[in-house]
Amino acid sequence: MNLWQAKLLNRATRLRLAHRRLPDEARANLSVLDGLSGRAPVSAQRYVVVDLETTGLDHTKDRVVSVGAFRVVGGHIRLGEVFNEFANPGRGIPVESIKVHGITPDNIRDARPAWEVFRDFLGFLGRDIVVAHFARFDMFFLNRVMRAQYGMRLQNLVVDTVLMCRAALIEPDPYGQKKGAKRCSLDALAARYGLEVPERHTALGDAMATALILQRLLPEMEHAGWKTLGDLVRVAGVQ
Amino acid sequence: MSDFPLPRIKDFLQSVVPFDTMEEAELQRVVGLMDLAYFPHGEVIIQAGEDPSKNLYVIMNGSVRVTLPRQTGEELLIDVRGEGDTFGALSLLQGELALFTVTAQEDLLAFMLPDEPFRALVRDNPVFKRHFSFSLARNIDAVRRAADHHTTQMTGTDTLGLDAVLTGSRVHELMSKQLLTCLPVTPVKAAAILMTQRKVGSIMVCEAGGRPLGILTDTDLRVRVLAAGVPSDVPVAEVMSRSMKAISPQAFAFEAMIEMARHGVHHLAVTEDQRLVGVISDHDLTMVTGSSPVGVMKEVAKVSSLEDLAGLPRRMNRVMETLLRLGGSAEYMLDVLSEFNDRLTVRLIRLTQTAMEHKGLGPAPVQFSWLALGSAGRREQALHQGQDYAVVYANVPPDREETVHTWFSEFATRMIEGLSSCGFTGTSEAVMNDALLCCRSEAAWEESFMAWVEGAHPPALAMAAKYFDLRAVYAETGFVETLWGKIFNAIEANRDFLGRLYQAGPQTRPPVGFLRQFAVDFDGAYLDRLNLEEVALQPVVEAARIMALDQRLRQTNTLERLGAVTRLGLLKDRMAEDLYEAFSFVTLLRIARRLEESHNGKDEGAYLDPAELNRVQRKMLKESFQVVGKLQEFTAQRYAQ
Repeated sequence: MNLWQAKLLNRATRLRLAHRRLPDEARANLSVLDGLSGRAPVSAQRYVVVDLETTGLDHTKDRVVSVGAFRVVGGHIRLGEVFNEFANPGRGIPVESIKVHGITPDNIRDARPAWEVFRDFLGFLGRDIVVAHFARFDMFFLNRVMRAQYGMRLQNLVVDTVLMCRAALIEPDPYGQKKGAKRCSLDALAARYGLEVPERHTALGDAMATALILQRLLPEMEHAGWKTLGDLVRVAGVQ
Repeated sequence: MSDFPLPRIKDFLQSVVPFDTMEEAELQRVVGLMDLAYFPHGEVIIQAGEDPSKNLYVIMNGSVRVTLPRQTGEELLIDVRGEGDTFGALSLLQGELALFTVTAQEDLLAFMLPDEPFRALVRDNPVFKRHFSFSLARNIDAVRRAADHHTTQMTGTDTLGLDAVLTGSRVHELMSKQLLTCLPVTPVKAAAILMTQRKVGSIMVCEAGGRPLGILTDTDLRVRVLAAGVPSDVPVAEVMSRSMKAISPQAFAFEAMIEMARHGVHHLAVTEDQRLVGVISDHDLTMVTGSSPVGVMKEVAKVSSLEDLAGLPRRMNRVMETLLRLGGSAEYMLDVLSEFNDRLTVRLIRLTQTAMEHKGLGPAPVQFSWLALGSAGRREQALHQGQDYAVVYANVPPDREETVHTWFSEFATRMIEGLSSCGFTGTSEAVMNDALLCCRSEAAWEESFMAWVEGAHPPALAMAAKYFDLRAVYAETGFVETLWGKIFNAIEANRDFLGRLYQAGPQTRPPVGFLRQFAVDFDGAYLDRLNLEEVALQPVVEAARIMALDQRLRQTNTLERLGAVTRLGLLKDRMAEDLYEAFSFVTLLRIARRLEESHNGKDEGAYLDPAELNRVQRKMLKESFQVVGKLQEFTAQRYAQ
């Protein structure tokens, strides 16, 4: 993925939806890539670090139950800008999942449906770059709702801390042996950096852990020679 | 947002002084204003000489070094701050160029509270106000780490400037208040005459309303009047230096110094509401910076009147403060202090003797010694602590006893008055009566000691224990040496003395849990405070005393006693090291408290409010308590009957 590819896809989407009546939040989301420069330094960007909890790991049938996000600006986590909401999956939550994230049917009985929560999340996100750990997973659920609701996927740049980790910390793996895969898990990275992760396995707790890891990976990326937004998207961009 | 969703972050801040005093809702509001920042180790967060800090930093994880760049290019380590400590407050609140460089020593995770909300907190919240105003106790862990590394540099010349930078003295304490001023229209000649009459090198030129306009110095008279051929009747306004900078009387001495250096001037006008209230010169500042321990000690010998002598302890305070900031070890500081107290006492003995001779009371009728007891005897005296002492005079025939005793009682009474005017507390009537009791002949003292060793019961021994820390401060006879020999022989013959002495001591264990609960000592006014001396120092002192007497050791200093019994194999090396650390740490805390109190003018003795300690200090205090507890178990096993 390159920044220009992302911009090209964005233009195609705009053309396709040009004559469609879209809600304001979707219209706004279409223009989030405007003015982004590939030469801007990675450390100065605005990021929104997000994590979702779901009813399970099967993306064909599982649903989102919780969204947590922090904003990171200039490398600083803004403790006052937090997104933290339960979403009603419209179905039961398997016991196995409750064991992981601790969210019970009682918690989400009064929660709004995912599309409403995502609508607010779009407002929170604005033009910032989305960061998630193993981003494809979170993006799958997010985009499914986006497509159903607006007929398009999320237009923001999305970068993955797993990819950043592989690029910056793990030696090159030309034969695809994936030796480094486990070393980039959230727990492995937290251990590597000596982070005590508060409330692990809640959306917001994992978002915080990812944000703390992002804080450390950004200078590591710069150290490894990927200093610009263009570099970041090339190395760790997922869509 | 009604509730901050990550309880652990809020919990953490709730454990940080002074955020721990905040109401839940207020804390939530403040957390929402914060950023959480990461600085890789080695990154400079605040650079000395650059813009003031724009945030208050609260360390969540990792540590920072606070250093002062020196002209030589090296850096002098001032402080290391860790988890739960804050930095950036000083330059932020002063709004001036940062004085110190702050560097991440390890990878650092820190909360950042921006300028504006932080100022608002300091303005509106009294606890924040108190905490972030200049506080000595906060730097105590730095002091410990820096150890005596820097004290050796005290005599070096390049630290002279540093003294001032670090000394907490304010401009109004150092400025001269006896001002020589004149109006701008005063003729130069008249100004020069005033200066000559008052024997000063400068005169301030002020408006009728008191606003300073400039200064006329000796140099101005030479350069701008005489050398320039200006007639001596021109108004001073035409020849004075107008580059007069003003400073507030509340500013710190080091700010005055920086201000002078910045503008290349030697005087600053001290103004309050635009009115001149004093002048501070670079000379006034050198007076502070020159307050090295050696300097003050030399001074003691030169003093010829009681009034001058009484002024010295205040200077000694300043020396101790500087030592504390520069990282003096407890041992070194206690040595300096007790050496100073000894010299002061000896000087006072001379002055008192002279005064009595002048009064026609004659010289001392027989040879005598002045003994220090208790903490003074152990060379562990804190500042301004009451002194326990005894006067021993040579044996005289019974018919002369009364006249001799009368002379020494008078002498002791005058000594106590002298000591109390030097800041040693306690001129109460009880102490005065004591003056009569503490003067005794060698035979009488010996008899008392023998009675204590041979058969005194624990309650009587509790009162007498301090006598077994005796040390001659001023000796004309070898009484103390002989006495020790006799005491040891008597103990040999009465081994049960050690058991009785043990029983006489307080056997309460230091409250390890105290630091969590914040209240144990039920002494009304000090409910939330902790008596350091009683709970942490006294048990060590008692234990060291018993073991030293047991092993025929003449040392009186607690650390020396512990060192000696360890060499004899009574204590394990590891335990001795821990005890040394614990004792030194608590002693430093105590010295810092005393200094702070003498600043604030209150006297809370050894009481300590744990809320004023940071996490590191609390942790160390807790560990210290644990070590003391172990020592108590050991002595209980060995000496309890």
